[in-house]
Amino acid sequence: MNTTAAGEIILDIRHLSTVFKTDEGRLPAVTDVSFSLGKGRTLGLVGESGCGKTVTALSIMRLLPQPAGQIVAGRILFDQMDLVRLPADRMRRVRGGRIAMIFQEPMTALNPVQPIGRQLREMFLLHAGGLSPAAMRRRCIDLLQRVGIPEAQRRLEDYPHQISGGMRQRVMIAMALSVAPEILIADEPTTALDVTVQAQILALIDDLQQAEGMSMIFITHDLGVIAEICDDVVVMYAGQVVEMASVTRLFRTPRHPYTQGLLASIPRLEHPAKSRLETIPGMVPGLAEMPAGCRFINRCPHAFLDCKTPPPLVDLGDGHSARCFLYGSGRESGA
Amino acid sequence: MRLSPLTIKKIRRFKSIKRGYWSLIIFALMVTLSLGAELLVNRRALIVHYQGRYYFPVYGRMLPGKTFGLDYNYETNYRKLAKVFASRHAGDWVLMPVVPYGPYENDLKPNRYPPFAPSFADRHFLGTDTIGRDVLARLVYGFRIAVFFSLALLAANFLIGVSIGSAMGFWGGKFDLFFQRIIEIWSNVPFLYVIIIISSIVVPNFFMLVVIMALFGWISITWTIRTMAYKEKAREYVLAARAMGASDLRIIFRHIIPNTVAIIVTFAPFAVSSGIISLTSLDYLGFGLPPPTPSWGELLQQGWANLDAWWIVASVIVAMVITLLTVTFIGEAVREAYDPRMHTTYE
Repeated sequence: MNTTAAGEIILDIRHLSTVFKTDEGRLPAVTDVSFSLGKGRTLGLVGESGCGKTVTALSIMRLLPQPAGQIVAGRILFDQMDLVRLPADRMRRVRGGRIAMIFQEPMTALNPVQPIGRQLREMFLLHAGGLSPAAMRRRCIDLLQRVGIPEAQRRLEDYPHQISGGMRQRVMIAMALSVAPEILIADEPTTALDVTVQAQILALIDDLQQAEGMSMIFITHDLGVIAEICDDVVVMYAGQVVEMASVTRLFRTPRHPYTQGLLASIPRLEHPAKSRLETIPGMVPGLAEMPAGCRFINRCPHAFLDCKTPPPLVDLGDGHSARCFLYGSGRESGA
Repeated sequence: MRLSPLTIKKIRRFKSIKRGYWSLIIFALMVTLSLGAELLVNRRALIVHYQGRYYFPVYGRMLPGKTFGLDYNYETNYRKLAKVFASRHAGDWVLMPVVPYGPYENDLKPNRYPPFAPSFADRHFLGTDTIGRDVLARLVYGFRIAVFFSLALLAANFLIGVSIGSAMGFWGGKFDLFFQRIIEIWSNVPFLYVIIIISSIVVPNFFMLVVIMALFGWISITWTIRTMAYKEKAREYVLAARAMGASDLRIIFRHIIPNTVAIIVTFAPFAVSSGIISLTSLDYLGFGLPPPTPSWGELLQQGWANLDAWWIVASVIVAMVITLLTVTFIGEAVREAYDPRMHTTYE
């Protein structure tokens, strides 16, 4: 399993488990997560806050908060390398150069005391040594133009506080794309922006991805965004993958009760006015009090006795799988 | 280089604090004048015109008395030369600096004993000390030494403090704990005793004294920078820089230290004034730079021992008050200019 509907796999995550060592012991932030990213495709990682989306992304980048965060099991295969075990100096060349990441908060992700041109230039200094200053400047201007920043030449000298949030996110995108990475990880890149700007930034990311032929992991809690730009979707809940499928299949036939709940809680135009907004009752269990069986057990409308034991990821065919006892007889598939 | 608009704002704000701004001008003037002290306070003449030739003895080799037709081979006494030329009426002349005495020179008079009171006729504007050296000359050269001493000390302290502090804050963990303990142990070593012991074994010169004092002076700035680095490290741009593949050292030098510049700049003037004070007090106690180095501490001690020669003590105290006051005012104004709470106003 784990092959996407089409083509070559560029990033393959197998049985990744990440824990945080805290005073209350080792908290499992991500447990046995496996998925793979097809070349040139966009994979959406959805789930509510604290479900391990960002930790998964930071594990791929090996940027977990130190010394608390640690990958305890699993492999992350990229270009015949296992990123989990890659020496620090080689990992540094992968970061930014081959796998780039953009963050949620464009307000704080730029260094406040450096002009943006200088920060862009830093990417070339780190990953494309040997460019002349004039060439670097030209490429910086070119990049800013490509991400739709007007008067790029003048903006190079601007400081982050002088430009708007949307502009800053564009600068971040420009930085991420500057040395043509093979994979872009976007961690809720539009969450902090207002709705109109969100749409612009999404369109921009989508265009650039098409143009570059880049693969992308797009982390969000917004199913609307997923529907718009993703090819494949991985739904995470409480540190586990609960369902994955191509975007059309997931939206047409969601299988896992959690995914069904998520989809049901999107307000729709055809709903009668003033009708009650669907919600999933209950709360995500805390990392310290994870149930032994299915992690969704306390909120699941279909929970039955079997759910006291951990459910396997059931292959439903055509790249669709769900972690639930409702499907199949159970144990023949697994992650 | 284009200044950041925030920096421009800070400079504008600094200028608007009149007390600090004028203090900066006065202090800068004092430092500039002291750099050219040889042209203002010197036993050597500025220009000598002798037999149709011009001599400029201020900078350059020592000119023996024979050069100007005198009967000795040691350095020319230009004040006497001026009198000789004046009595000859041969068209030769000597132009002396405003204060025609050097800081090491004893100006003794027959049948009188120093200290001599201030006298405009002798051009001892602030009198002489107990062995006949001009007080103003010693003040000026002593100021120059004290200022450059404290600047050197500041550079040394900040170099050690900023590097260790940012490393502690950035790497944290065991590295941080280790240095914390080192600092705690080290800061319990009594500084004054160490200085006394060292200077009883060897007579410290300028650089040795800077090194000794820097050994004990780096601690406070280290704590401050450590805290700042801790704070900066947790900010998202550091994570973003990492995600772009920047190395730890690059993040420290390109991102964290530039973001702590406000603290460094705000600390600097106060560090300068404390440097001047420590050098002066060490000299006062006799453990500073070796005599006959011109020094305010040494003058203060002389003045204290000879209170009837009031001009010594008065000059040093006035000079110290002016210097420390201007430096402190500069520091206050810089701090206020950098205060982020002041920047929330709309223009």
